Amino acid sequence: MSSLFSALSVSASGMAAQRTRAALLVENIANSETTRTPGGGPYRRKDAIFSSDETGSAFSSELDAQLDGQSLTGVKVVGISVDNSAPEKQYLPGHPDADADGYVSMPKVNPAEDMVDLMGANRSYQANVAAMSAVKDMIQKSIDLLR
Amino acid sequence: MLDSVTGSLERYMDLLSARQKIVASNIANADTPGFKTKDLDFQSEFASALSGSQPQASEVTGLPVKNDGNNVSLDREARLLAENAMRFSAASNLMRSQLNTVKEAIQGGKSA
Repeated sequence: MSSLFSALSVSASGMAAQRTRAALLVENIANSETTRTPGGGPYRRKDAIFSSDETGSAFSSELDAQLDGQSLTGVKVVGISVDNSAPEKQYLPGHPDADADGYVSMPKVNPAEDMVDLMGANRSYQANVAAMSAVKDMIQKSIDLLR
Repeated sequence: MLDSVTGSLERYMDLLSARQKIVASNIANADTPGFKTKDLDFQSEFASALSGSQPQASEVTGLPVKNDGNNVSLDREARLLAENAMRFSAASNLMRSQLNTVKEAIQGGKSA
């Protein structure tokens, strides 16, 4: 039987993943009107790809996996997807980045959509915090048995 | 193990912590595409845990699947999280009263 401490690292992996997702969403919102990037062209929308993670990196969860034969499933960001579809053209003849016809390539970012996603990431982060504090209370109760 | 009651309580708390870990894992994967909710069958696992076997997690059926193939319901997990914490609290209080009984016997009733 593995210890309750490994449940803390599962919740921590969830918190880390949600924080990465929130950081990307904030980046998207901040760059929703950026027309110049080092790579050229307008900013391209980024999104985190989540995958369940069978093997914990922490020593204790590795040890548990060896003893138990079954490890806990955390989550990790396995990659960042970049939206490479054609950018949106807006007719802005006075813009410094306008082409010969007066059209500017704008990022395909919908700030409203990203705000809703950000709220989702926030709620998921809170759910992980709640899980962590419930497990922490259980550990504390077990320690209190020694008093 | 002091007696059969503490033994059962120990198994019960072990099983509750195993379930709490599964719930924590479900919550962590609430946004992972294709992830399926896992759980223990508490009644049958408790019966088999008393005979000393390891709990087996299985996938939960009957939950609505989202577009990305994920079927984690945060409401369900939040309920289980609270339920497990309260059950564990009750079990740890019972365990403590068992331990206090033994402590009192050791001290010859002087501390009471």
